Amino acid sequence: MAELTLILGSKNYCLWPVSAWLCLRTAGLEFDEIILPFGEPDSRERFCDYSPTGRVPVLKHGDLSVWDSAAVCEYVAELAPEARLWPEDKSHRAIARSVVAEMHSHKASPLHDFLPGNVRRRVTGVALPANVKEVTGRMTGIWTECRRLYGQEGPFLFGHFTVADAVQAHMVNRFVTYGIELEPEAAEYRDAMLAYPPMVEWNAAAGAEVSSFAPSDNAFPNS
Amino acid sequence: MADFTLVTANKNYCLWPLPAWLCLKIAGLEFDEITIPFGDPDARQRFEQHSPSGSVPALKHGDLILWESLAICEYVADLVPNARLWPEDRTTRARARTTASEMYSGYKSILSRLMPTNIRGRTGPLDVPEELQKVIDRNTEIWRDLRATYAGDGPYLFGQFTIADAFHAPLINRFVSYNVPLGPVEAEYCDAVRNHPNVKEYIALAEAEPWTFEKSDRPFAA
Repeated sequence: MAELTLILGSKNYCLWPVSAWLCLRTAGLEFDEIILPFGEPDSRERFCDYSPTGRVPVLKHGDLSVWDSAAVCEYVAELAPEARLWPEDKSHRAIARSVVAEMHSHKASPLHDFLPGNVRRRVTGVALPANVKEVTGRMTGIWTECRRLYGQEGPFLFGHFTVADAVQAHMVNRFVTYGIELEPEAAEYRDAMLAYPPMVEWNAAAGAEVSSFAPSDNAFPNS
Repeated sequence: MADFTLVTANKNYCLWPLPAWLCLKIAGLEFDEITIPFGDPDARQRFEQHSPSGSVPALKHGDLILWESLAICEYVADLVPNARLWPEDRTTRARARTTASEMYSGYKSILSRLMPTNIRGRTGPLDVPEELQKVIDRNTEIWRDLRATYAGDGPYLFGQFTIADAFHAPLINRFVSYNVPLGPVEAEYCDAVRNHPNVKEYIALAEAEPWTFEKSDRPFAA
């Protein structure tokens, strides 16, 4: 049994925990997973067994429970400083944290509501309403700007893979699921994310998962 | 001119810049402020001009512009480790970050919707809707739990004043404005935060502001 345990929902439908999961993988830390069934009538209750907010992810490390993705990623970054989950430069690190916090704030919620997580599904012809477009435009704008200003030394926002990339994973997957077209620079970043080995691993696990969740499987039935 | 500039809205009506403001004060960093009053016809445009995300607070430090309170507080903690804005112990620090992060991602929109900020306003006891009561219960539970586990002899959640307290300060001010009934542990903690010299300073500045903003004054109409 590993010292660390990550509690998550379905990998296909529940995209909140992907950032913490990618950070743990990038840090090379061994961890067990407890995958709670998602979308069942008692899901919330079962999540509450592990986290007082009834939300995942939760990371357990001995007696310590850390919840809320941003806090989990910070903790993983502290456990494995050699993984460089934050940029070394103080100013770049601060920008990276601004990017993470913005994604983590309620501003991204139109995205979660309109484009529910469903990693293995492919839908075409989805027209984005203005409030969703505003969010995707802002987020891909961040991608392009960080890549230009800080990303010279690698394919990610700050060159090497950081927490700022980990929190983009759910967006990348939503863009793929719903066939959202991106400008060339944003598309290049999306592809770099999709090729990142831990991301490949998560998405393969999501594809192989035996699970179903009607609201996400039936969104956009006519497209 | 100071090295730092914090971009905020009016203090009386906007508590979200408070954590960043408190951290800068506690860290002893001098800063100028750009205050963009809500309701000004060009407020939206000015928010966008000063903040990459179009929301406040934003912090300028030379060429660097940061946004989102949590990131700004982390930056200040990074710049001035002596201010001990996070607990020293790694496990305790993780707990403190969890607390700040939960407040940040979990309750901001419901609080803005159901308890708009108005530092100088006072209501009688409210008829609290269930969704809001849950937020109140959850956060007072956090206070009791952290005070019992980590506070030791200090008056704050982790003894000394940390970013976790800074993130609860906006809620505490709402509890006072909306006359939310509290148990003894919670009331004592609220008093401790309200009596922190920098919190007092912020409240005094808010109360002295000339602007009024009808939308946020409405719940307090007699």
